Amino acid sequence: MSAAADHLVELAGIRTCFGRSCIHEDLDLAVRHGEILALVGASGSGKSVLLREMLLLQRPSAGTVRLFGEVVDGRDEPAANRLRRRIGIMFQQGALFSSLTVIENIAVPLKEQTDLPASTIDDIARLKLLLSGLASDAANKYPSQLSGGMLKRAALARALAMDPDLLVLDEPGTGLDPVGADDLDELILDLHESLGLTVVMTSHDLDTLWRVSDRIAFLGEKHILASGTIAELSRAEHPQLRAFFQGPRGRAVRGGSWNRG
Amino acid sequence: MPSDDPASFEWISDCDTLYVRGSWTTTALSQAQRGLAGLLIASSRLTVDGRDLTGLDTAGALLLCRLLQGLRGEGKQVRVSGLDERRAELLRLVEAKLVDVIPDFAPVGKPGALQRLGKAAWETGAQTYATLSFAGMTFATLLGSLRNPVRFRWRNLLGVIENDGVRAMPVLGMLSFLLGVVIAYQSGIQLRLYGGNLYVVDLVTITVLRELGPLMTAIVVAGRSGSAYTAQIGTMQVTEEVDALRSIGVSPMELLVLPKVLGLILSLPLLTMFSNLLAVFGGMVMAAGMLDVSFEAFVRRIPEAASINSLLSGLGKAPVFAMVIAAVGCYQGFQVQGTAESVGRRTTTSVVQAIVLVIVVDAAFSVAYSALGI
Repeated sequence: MSAAADHLVELAGIRTCFGRSCIHEDLDLAVRHGEILALVGASGSGKSVLLREMLLLQRPSAGTVRLFGEVVDGRDEPAANRLRRRIGIMFQQGALFSSLTVIENIAVPLKEQTDLPASTIDDIARLKLLLSGLASDAANKYPSQLSGGMLKRAALARALAMDPDLLVLDEPGTGLDPVGADDLDELILDLHESLGLTVVMTSHDLDTLWRVSDRIAFLGEKHILASGTIAELSRAEHPQLRAFFQGPRGRAVRGGSWNRG
Repeated sequence: MPSDDPASFEWISDCDTLYVRGSWTTTALSQAQRGLAGLLIASSRLTVDGRDLTGLDTAGALLLCRLLQGLRGEGKQVRVSGLDERRAELLRLVEAKLVDVIPDFAPVGKPGALQRLGKAAWETGAQTYATLSFAGMTFATLLGSLRNPVRFRWRNLLGVIENDGVRAMPVLGMLSFLLGVVIAYQSGIQLRLYGGNLYVVDLVTITVLRELGPLMTAIVVAGRSGSAYTAQIGTMQVTEEVDALRSIGVSPMELLVLPKVLGLILSLPLLTMFSNLLAVFGGMVMAAGMLDVSFEAFVRRIPEAASINSLLSGLGKAPVFAMVIAAVGCYQGFQVQGTAESVGRRTTTSVVQAIVLVIVVDAAFSVAYSALGI
């Protein structure tokens, strides 16, 4: 296996422009097999856009996106779909279909992309529900009847429906109380370990970053300013990194630093 | 990397072993899934061997678990071998999760005919009650705000009159004009046979003023504004804006409903008059072209053909139609519950209900007018 084959995602020379303003210039990033990579940066630094490009939902103005070792041409929809199937996404707001129950939401990818009988799909969907830590009585509820934490878990269950190789989480902890966010961190670590998932996430939450991430890529000045473990980055001298990791919040978290066992 | 050779299995009875092969992953599973249903195993002790597996994910593990459960349920002794550590771990994880499945987990079955009938009856009753309550509440709020006109949202009222009154004029005008043309044309063909060309004036003015003008206006407004009311209030309901209003101490009734009701009550008679004018004009154009009734002769004939009562009896219905349309539109909006689909369904219901009610009310007016001899 070459070094490149060990990378699930490779972004090279990415440039993203909206009209005249460019938010990424000559950006390189690789996601290694089996790691939890956190994408960090100030609001508006283009984290979500970068995720969308990784998921082939948006084409960069220049540069190449390589998924699972394949270069993706944005115009080749069938090929893109085949690759997307191997990625599970949890959107920031959940993006569950509001007219379907939780269990039906989880079953949607299975129904669309496999020819398994309905009873088996139902069985698989229920397993995913349990894996994402929801109680079984949530199955027949509609998204509007769920709390914020349950919504996130249901969205996670749908992201896991196809047993993806790569799980993408956009701001997983946003809108959750500290206990809920801790539980979700725990769940992500659990799934990472038991299912061997590679995870890419964006987050502002320093607690989550300390606890969950193997590696952090810091997005600033239109490219990846630095990448490394959080301990390395929090010692960095760059003013943006210092502001992020060594501001009052950063220090508070570090004081009671999380230990990843 | 999972390879996509389909999942399969082979039962070798000589060594009492079930070999599972290929990639037991979500997308490659269907063939094995169908095959397993027909699998018959006579031995009471067997081994499931997974050394030839090229892939296993949770869906595959689940299917394997179900298989093991089924076999053990028949009293057989089953041993699993040949799985590497990671796959064995995955199988254990899935097995452990399945223990959590509790009986009430099964989906609710389809309700029977009696249950559906009862539910429909109950819902109709509840719906009627709720509609009446809403009408009552609207009326009470209206009376309350009449006593305290300073609090009334005059700006919103003007907005409603502009959006739902003034902006409806082009489409309503065009439709009315065409309506007049059509009536004149259809009746003109018959009248010409008897040489009673001038009577086209009677036909056009009376049908338009008494019936078609008000009805046409109400239907256009129900389709245009009633649906908009439902969608607006419904979306606000979904985004919790209605609750936000309540929490600030603003009654959604006062802010959202009253201006719409009052605005339509004021606009609809005016629109009806506009519709009447254009429909009659359409009739005039057709009469001049087809029946040689000049504009002058047509206009001079109008007072003899239709009395002021015809006009007033038509215009008198308009405020009632307005109330029906606005009330149904707003009520359906408040009935929206949480989902995008619900907004769509309620909007449809709102338009259908408003048009049906408008026609029912129109029929009631006809009966009442004829009883009163108007």
